[in-house]
Amino acid sequence: MTTAVATKKALLDNGGYVYDFIHMLYFNRDTKKAFSVEFVEDNPPEVLERSLREPSNTQRWEFYVRNPLSESVRRKVEAALG
Amino acid sequence: MAAPALQTISDRLRSEYSELLPEIIRVRDRLETEVRYHLLPVVERLSHYERVLVSARVKDCESAVDRLRRHAESGTFDEESPERYSLLNLRDLAGARVLVFPQSRLPEVHEALRARFHDWTSDPFPPRTTSGFPAYKYFGHCPAASTTVMGEVQIVPMAIGLFWELEHDALYKPSPELKGIEKDPEMQDRTTLVLDALRGFEDRFEQLVLLSSASRTKRSE
Repeated sequence: MTTAVATKKALLDNGGYVYDFIHMLYFNRDTKKAFSVEFVEDNPPEVLERSLREPSNTQRWEFYVRNPLSESVRRKVEAALG
Repeated sequence: MAAPALQTISDRLRSEYSELLPEIIRVRDRLETEVRYHLLPVVERLSHYERVLVSARVKDCESAVDRLRRHAESGTFDEESPERYSLLNLRDLAGARVLVFPQSRLPEVHEALRARFHDWTSDPFPPRTTSGFPAYKYFGHCPAASTTVMGEVQIVPMAIGLFWELEHDALYKPSPELKGIEKDPEMQDRTTLVLDALRGFEDRFEQLVLLSSASRTKRSE
């Protein structure tokens, strides 16, 4: 694992994020945030760290993705994540 | 009479698959035959311990549908935009794979096939999936078999190819949705360890064969 990948993995693990291999997202039900594999791969650890620190709205899921999700996809993924 | 229920994108793609299947099979058969034919001059020169194995396959329906699903970020079809999805976007509905041992034979296998498939598009494997082994992949059309269904040719060292078959047949073929597991960084690390070990094995094998053959030549002089 490269240093950057290991750092990102540690950030996600420490933040309590779990990998969902069906949707290829790291998610945390408490913070209601989800990060796509593409977002994690594309961005340096600093961006991921900043995104993890951003205050979360625990009423609605926040998706960190390369391309914005359409409403119908968002609804399906939210339903799957619970 | 009640209106028919709306099809999901997965259902629509399964139906597209059924329609395309005869054409996919034609592409597979054509690819396999052409690959075998163009490799004959190489195969006829192999030493007794060397191997060039050709296999061909049709991507099965659920793998094809799942592949398109995983193209989408978040691995979810957008049911409101069905026009975005067609199996004809896949490059590997039909495929031929050439397994080569030892890897030193790979360049000449590649050269023989590249001459035939010179107008196909090169689609290199991501480096982490081959771990330093030479490997090649091309996709394109066989117009004699189909102008719409694409085929893929892979040329890979036997050690990697057989490991991929283990992964694919044992893990992912019965449950294509598990494919997302590959993206887990720790899983990728473990895969790299396996590939490095296979490369080490093959490097040493070739060294010993070369040493032994050099020593035999010297003795006979």
